Amino acid sequence: MGRIKKKGISGAAKNYITRSRAVKKLQISLPDFRRLCIFKGIYPREPRKKKKVSKGSTAATTFYYTKDVQYLLHEPLLAKFREHKAVAKKIARALGRGEAGDAARLEKNLIPKIKLDHLVKERYPTFIDALRDLDDALSMLFLFASLPSSQHVPAKTISLCQRLCHEFEHYVIVSHSLRKSFLSIKGIYYQATIQGQDILWLVPYRFVQRTGGDIDFRIMGTFVEFYTTLLGFVNYRLYTSIGLVYPPKFNAKVDEQGGELGAFQLEGKGVSTNGNTTNGDKPVVVNPEAQAIADKIATLPGTEEAESETEALAPVDGDEEENTEGIDKFETTAPDADILPQPQVTGAEAASLFAGMVFYISREAPKAPLEFILPAFGCKRVGWDASLGDGAYTTNESDPSITHQIVDRPALSDAEAMAVPETTNGGAAAFKAQWPRSTMPGRTYVQPQWVWDCINQGKLLRPDIYAPGAELPPHLSPWVKPKKGEYDPNLPLQLQEPEVEALEEVEEDEEDEEAASDAKDASSIESGDDMAAIVDRDSSVEAGEGMDVVSSADEEEDSESDADAGADEWEGFESDAESDVSEGEAARIRHQRELEAEATGMAIEPEAQTTKSKNAALRKKAVKKRREEEEERERQKMMLSNKKRKLLKRIEYGSNKRDTEAENLRRKRRRIEKAKAAANAV
Amino acid sequence: MAPNARKRKAATRDAPAESGSEEELANGLFDGILSHSEDESGVSPDEDAESEASSVIGGLSDEDDEEEDEEEAEEEGGNEADIREQLRNLKTTDHPSKRIVSDAILTNAHDSVTNGELDGQEDEDPKPNYTVAIDANGNPRYLYNEIDPVYDSDDSDAPATTNTIGNIPLSYYDKYPHIGYDINGRKIMRPAKGEALDALLDSIDIPKGWTGLTDPATGKPLNLSEEELDVLKKLTRNEIVEEGYDPYPEMVYYFSGKQEIMPLSAAPEPKRRFVPSKHEAKRVMKIVKAIREGRIQPYKPPGEEDDEEERIYYDVWADEKPRPENSMHLPAPKLPPPGYDASYHPPPEYLPDKAEKEAWLAADEEDREKDYLPANYDALRKVPGYERFVKERFERSLDLYLAPRVRRNKLNIDPESLLPKLPNPDDLKPFPTTCAAIFRGQQGRVRSVSIDPHGVFLASGGDDGFVRIWELLTGREVWQARLSDEDAVDTVKWRPDTECSILAAAAGETIYLVVPFTILSPDMEQHSRDVLDAGWGYAASKPSSTTNGAIKEPPGKWSRPGSSLEHKGVLVQVTVRSMVKVINWHRKGDYFATVSPRGQSTAVAIHTLSKHLTQLPFRRLKGIAQTAQFHPSKAIFFVATRNTIRSYDLAKQELVKILQPGAKWISSIDVHPGGDNIIVGTYDKRLLWHDLDLSTKPYKTLRFHQEAIRAVRFHQGGLPLFADASDDGSLQIFHGKVVGDLMENATIVPLKVLRGHKVKSRLGAMDVEWHPREPWCVSAGADGTCRLWN
Repeated sequence: MGRIKKKGISGAAKNYITRSRAVKKLQISLPDFRRLCIFKGIYPREPRKKKKVSKGSTAATTFYYTKDVQYLLHEPLLAKFREHKAVAKKIARALGRGEAGDAARLEKNLIPKIKLDHLVKERYPTFIDALRDLDDALSMLFLFASLPSSQHVPAKTISLCQRLCHEFEHYVIVSHSLRKSFLSIKGIYYQATIQGQDILWLVPYRFVQRTGGDIDFRIMGTFVEFYTTLLGFVNYRLYTSIGLVYPPKFNAKVDEQGGELGAFQLEGKGVSTNGNTTNGDKPVVVNPEAQAIADKIATLPGTEEAESETEALAPVDGDEEENTEGIDKFETTAPDADILPQPQVTGAEAASLFAGMVFYISREAPKAPLEFILPAFGCKRVGWDASLGDGAYTTNESDPSITHQIVDRPALSDAEAMAVPETTNGGAAAFKAQWPRSTMPGRTYVQPQWVWDCINQGKLLRPDIYAPGAELPPHLSPWVKPKKGEYDPNLPLQLQEPEVEALEEVEEDEEDEEAASDAKDASSIESGDDMAAIVDRDSSVEAGEGMDVVSSADEEEDSESDADAGADEWEGFESDAESDVSEGEAARIRHQRELEAEATGMAIEPEAQTTKSKNAALRKKAVKKRREEEEERERQKMMLSNKKRKLLKRIEYGSNKRDTEAENLRRKRRRIEKAKAAANAV
Repeated sequence: MAPNARKRKAATRDAPAESGSEEELANGLFDGILSHSEDESGVSPDEDAESEASSVIGGLSDEDDEEEDEEEAEEEGGNEADIREQLRNLKTTDHPSKRIVSDAILTNAHDSVTNGELDGQEDEDPKPNYTVAIDANGNPRYLYNEIDPVYDSDDSDAPATTNTIGNIPLSYYDKYPHIGYDINGRKIMRPAKGEALDALLDSIDIPKGWTGLTDPATGKPLNLSEEELDVLKKLTRNEIVEEGYDPYPEMVYYFSGKQEIMPLSAAPEPKRRFVPSKHEAKRVMKIVKAIREGRIQPYKPPGEEDDEEERIYYDVWADEKPRPENSMHLPAPKLPPPGYDASYHPPPEYLPDKAEKEAWLAADEEDREKDYLPANYDALRKVPGYERFVKERFERSLDLYLAPRVRRNKLNIDPESLLPKLPNPDDLKPFPTTCAAIFRGQQGRVRSVSIDPHGVFLASGGDDGFVRIWELLTGREVWQARLSDEDAVDTVKWRPDTECSILAAAAGETIYLVVPFTILSPDMEQHSRDVLDAGWGYAASKPSSTTNGAIKEPPGKWSRPGSSLEHKGVLVQVTVRSMVKVINWHRKGDYFATVSPRGQSTAVAIHTLSKHLTQLPFRRLKGIAQTAQFHPSKAIFFVATRNTIRSYDLAKQELVKILQPGAKWISSIDVHPGGDNIIVGTYDKRLLWHDLDLSTKPYKTLRFHQEAIRAVRFHQGGLPLFADASDDGSLQIFHGKVVGDLMENATIVPLKVLRGHKVKSRLGAMDVEWHPREPWCVSAGADGTCRLWN
């Protein structure tokens, strides 16, 4: 017999440590511990057996993995924190004595500088790991890049964030790795695929952010501190991987004039600068080898990309079918087949989407995202209004080379258009094409959504739908994959609603109409309430009683109806009493009618099968079928063990929720469509 | 005059001091002074003794008086105002009485003093009580001696008069040194003033070095010199006694920069004082070299730009090695991508309607399913900034470092796979689904139903004491008989024999055997009567008697009921000792078993029809018997008590098996026609399927009823069906297929819930019975109806 094991000596009790104990062990303050955890990426754990870990107490506590804390003990940052604490004491003392100059000197010279370089490698042993975790970093840095400087957010941090973000954007542009983008109410989502990793980040719209409330900028600042380091190294690696020199030249003067992306000048390795960025031409990769390397890395199948790149440079008018080297699209023929995932848009396709086009961004359209997106999808020349900042290809709206103009203002009516231009132009010699007063012939005017919808669908869409002032089609998220049973706004309603629902809907419509027209024979239509009555047990009992009476009255009829019902519905697992009776009744009436016709010697006029009655019949059948299925299911559930029944209940909860959601959406859409149809009819 | 007095005093001061004892020092000295200061009057010793305690004060004040007198004489009215004030003060003080007393003492003392004078003057006289003096007018005036109130004197309590001038203003005396007169006509002098006292004290000279102590060595008064007193004073002050000691002397610099005339050493100045140091030069050169080599940079204050220079990027992942995956490491989950409803211009169906919007706004922030409200903007330029952007990012960062990460297994089970595969419903047909007929007419509950072996008639018995027979298909009542007025008919059972038609019914303690001849064919009637009558006389011929000859009461008395019943067709009645609840026939119809739960030892009885014999198989039964049944093919007898079922071999007369269904209270059992399976209905809402070959525990436990199960029944005609009846008013029909193969378990499939019986006083369906061939069943309800289901 082994030794009796003591409680709390090994296992879960030792594997986890509470936060306060961890802080005590590391001998640092709680804020320092928080900083350390953020830097090192250490997070609390949820022990599987909490009671064992907390030695029986059930109070809510935060647990850390003991080994994580152990590992923090050797962190060089810890020593820095301690140094910092010592200096902070000195400074506090100096301030207490009123020696402000001394304090300033101490702060300047003695405060230890914290470097997080080693953490990047430690947390992300491979570059792919770092890319995988870049979502939050990018979102955070893009947010900080758009924040106003304040006490908590120093201007230096903001400018650093801006620089890093723009550098990253430049890489995405050059490597054509942007795949999708989405205009949401929160901001603009971008998704880039870099080395096979999907990176999704969110950029806020250019407004002053609301920073009030209980937001602790110290925490965010700590994150930003790490993320800037991370993104710096990631950028370095990305730039060097495509043969660019990493810190790209930054032109502070251009940046001051709102040149954002244009303030950077990329240069290839070992090649001197290509000098002229003054005309706002997007930074071009000078080194073809570097480009080749870039493409190799940016896309999975390597070598032919360079060629396809050159191919893509030629204006493409939608002849992607010729491309035989790419992967063919496999479409399943049967709906029940499994769908195998295929690689999506390649970099080459992305690079050729807007190739050869020249865009002009109007004053009211958002320049920053368009300046990023358009080049990322192959557009080499983007011009914008001079008021939007420096670095444009052209600021002249009437430049004849412009093929597309992005406007976000509705066109003026003719009268207005006529009234204004003379005064403004003042009889200028050169004709100035200025939206909305006049348009350039041969130029396409579109709303910004066109760009997004084009890149999400991977092809150029009809611009007339997106014409200025036109009612835009809904902008849909490119990340939602339609699932079975869920509502898909792309498909027509008829394809996705279950039979019963549609029929019910029709029924409802008719009912509405009838209610409107005050129809007399409402009896022929059964509303949903009537249906409920059928299901009701009491009524079925009553039916049984009724049958009893009938059987005593005329047995022949009864038996006939019985047989009839039997013939009709034997395949149904359960024959419903009420429907039996009603169908029996119908058969009898039919029989009666036949007899009458025979007596009068007339041919039986075929029963007027109105659509209404047909619908009713269909609906009834569908309802019955559904109910049968339900009963079958209930029956099956009765045979389940308790455990499995609970499990099933849990599973069904989720699916039911999804179903009701989808149903809700379908109902809304139906209503909207009906309203639209009514409006059209009028 | 005053300076004279002073002189006098000074002259006389020394003498008494030298000769005076201690007491004299304390008292007598001053008295002496006073008396001397008085004009030529001696001290009367009795006076001295009289006021010892107050003498000092008195003396002092007298002195004051005196002095004042003198001063008053000098400067007449100057002090009068002061005196008046003083007197006024005396009157207005808080303790006038005290002052008055002291005044009295003053006057007394004064009196005594004057008296003393007189005494001194006329001591030689042969003691006349008075002296004769000449008054202002030249008339003789008798001056009486002061009366000395001895200790016993009554007069001692007389109050001393203080105010002798009466109620006149004091200002009248302003001009005089005295204020009023005393009882002896002497002037009462004004009280002394402060200045006078001081003058007095000044005039008293204490001898040099007087301490008032006695030198213990010599016994002489101890005198201390000035120096000695000084030492003492310093000691008490913790000071250094030594005269002229300076605790903080001026510092004397021994090694001053001042050149002494005579140096300490005569050695000449060394050379090194004049030669530059080589060592220093070496060290300087070292620094110069370092500076030249650039090892030492001149100090430059750290500027702004070095911050930026610090950020040096390099390829961190130059030699990357994938780390083996650690199971404890959970990467942060990514945020889900936005859905359709997050679009700035979503399809209209995604926009919330009014109710949804209100609900969202009203909900607490934590309760909201989505943290945003879908909104539609018809142009991009109209999209406002998202208010919660920073907040969301902040919450995300909180999640990243503060939220415990747990790997949860997602339930990725197809719900269909959980559901058991059930046989095709078509294969399970036929079974009863609908109510085909309702048999009405019973009063009160119907307790039991039974279908005759031909499947034509239905017998029912209920609370009203009637047994009724109905045509099964039509629901028409064809026969009825009232068996008992007070007892309900608890059970009815047809004899399982197609040759004849006998119905057994039990009401109270009596079992009736009925041949409803009105509905039978004559053959059958005759046959039935024969069967019943065969046993008559058997019991009589073999009376049950014990060996000792005492006639024992038989457990059942077989007799004919009254003629009225016989006329109806009730031919035999058997009376047992307690109320019969259950009757079950043996398959051959010769035996039937009755169960009467109340009778302890007589609970289970087996009756032999051919012999009209009642036997009690159990002498003692464990538990309360609930029901008993014969095995369908073997000579095995099942008895169910409240929570066990025992099977007995009747041939070997031994216990075969004890089944423990685990139920609290068994209501009924039924044996499968195959004989290897038993279903058990319980009052605790369970239906249990027992496989006798498998175990003593139930094979399946079915709990589908809300209320207790009253009856369970297998279909006996070859269809794999069984049914139960419950207090919730419903019947449940199951498919229960038993295969001959021992390896395969029975398949049980729930088929149908038949609802129709109304629940009355918490009772619903009381009994259920299958048709012998068809898939029909009949149920008895507490609502007074029977129902046929097909």
